[in-house]
Amino acid sequence: MLRRVLAWVAAVIAGAVLGGVSAWAALEFGRSSFFEDYGAWRHSRATGSAAAGPYTRAIIARDGLLALSAREALYFTIYQDDEGRALDETCIYELTGRQFAARWWSITLYADDNFLAQNEDHAASIDASHVSVGSDRRWRARVSTVRGDAIYWLSSRNARRDFSLTLRVYNPQRDFRASADTLPTLTRISCLGDVS
Amino acid sequence: MSGWGKYVWAAIAIAVLAHFAFIHAVPRVMMNVALERVSAINGYNAWTFSDRVTPASRAIVRPSPDFAYSACAYDLSGGPLTITATPWGSYWSLSLYAANSDNYFVIDDREARGGAEITLARRRQDAEGSAATIVTSPTIRGVALIRRLAPDVDSYNAAAQVARTDVCAAFTPAS
Repeated sequence: MLRRVLAWVAAVIAGAVLGGVSAWAALEFGRSSFFEDYGAWRHSRATGSAAAGPYTRAIIARDGLLALSAREALYFTIYQDDEGRALDETCIYELTGRQFAARWWSITLYADDNFLAQNEDHAASIDASHVSVGSDRRWRARVSTVRGDAIYWLSSRNARRDFSLTLRVYNPQRDFRASADTLPTLTRISCLGDVS
Repeated sequence: MSGWGKYVWAAIAIAVLAHFAFIHAVPRVMMNVALERVSAINGYNAWTFSDRVTPASRAIVRPSPDFAYSACAYDLSGGPLTITATPWGSYWSLSLYAANSDNYFVIDDREARGGAEITLARRRQDAEGSAATIVTSPTIRGVALIRRLAPDVDSYNAAAQVARTDVCAAFTPAS
């Protein structure tokens, strides 16, 4: 009798665990099918899209709960530099780009924990209101722990290793086309400990 | 069925049920958490103006410092609501999210330069007599969210003043 009860309990537990794990795996796998890569920038079509079924809805909720609809804003995130290395606060980067075919844009730096880096530099983001392009019609911003002589600066102080940058493009125009050429490029200039 | 077969089949049946229950529950549980957070300060059917996003902000991951947010956790069990968004000099939008996380309505300043006024109801006939746009919510509860572009302290403070005139309250039919 006891053996039978234990067998049923084991069946219930095994079934529940298997169901939960398979659902989690389905969301992880399904999530990657929404990714689009433009150079080093990653865009998830799930963020701000309309749900077409229970799996899509769950993926959207996980990746962009209460996000703006894709008509209102597009989100792109970069986790690596131009040579595929993880972003690190011990390095200095240059971010360059053109103006976008959109009403407004911003780029925000997030620490490895996905929150704003814990510093008092008031340099967590740059945006279209404050950035001007040069004679080559490109703007340049520095990503580093100190501003130095940079005109536009994103502070990576206390962002640690594996920080990221998110580009938000608001009210993109019809001719806005995301591509490796239209999105900004992030170039590593130097790192602490580099041998010159 | 004899031996271990029945236990294996039972485990498989429970796994299938648990799989679909999990998928179904994810957006609803997450929205429930959002509803609880939004309603924690002013309760349901009232706007809450969020603190400016700073490095100390830890409520949601990857917060956007670009916006001043006003959120209203709504509950239509007592009848329709009037929701208004006062216009703002720069980009603003009003988004509505159902309890299953669907973003079923959005309007921005390009479509509503003079601000937005809607009557939010469970069914259209509940909002008879409304002069405003009637929007039907797929669920009784949900979240209304106003975003106003306010990337610096001055514009955030100005948005805080404007947000005071937003309305999220019981609908009163015209007599």
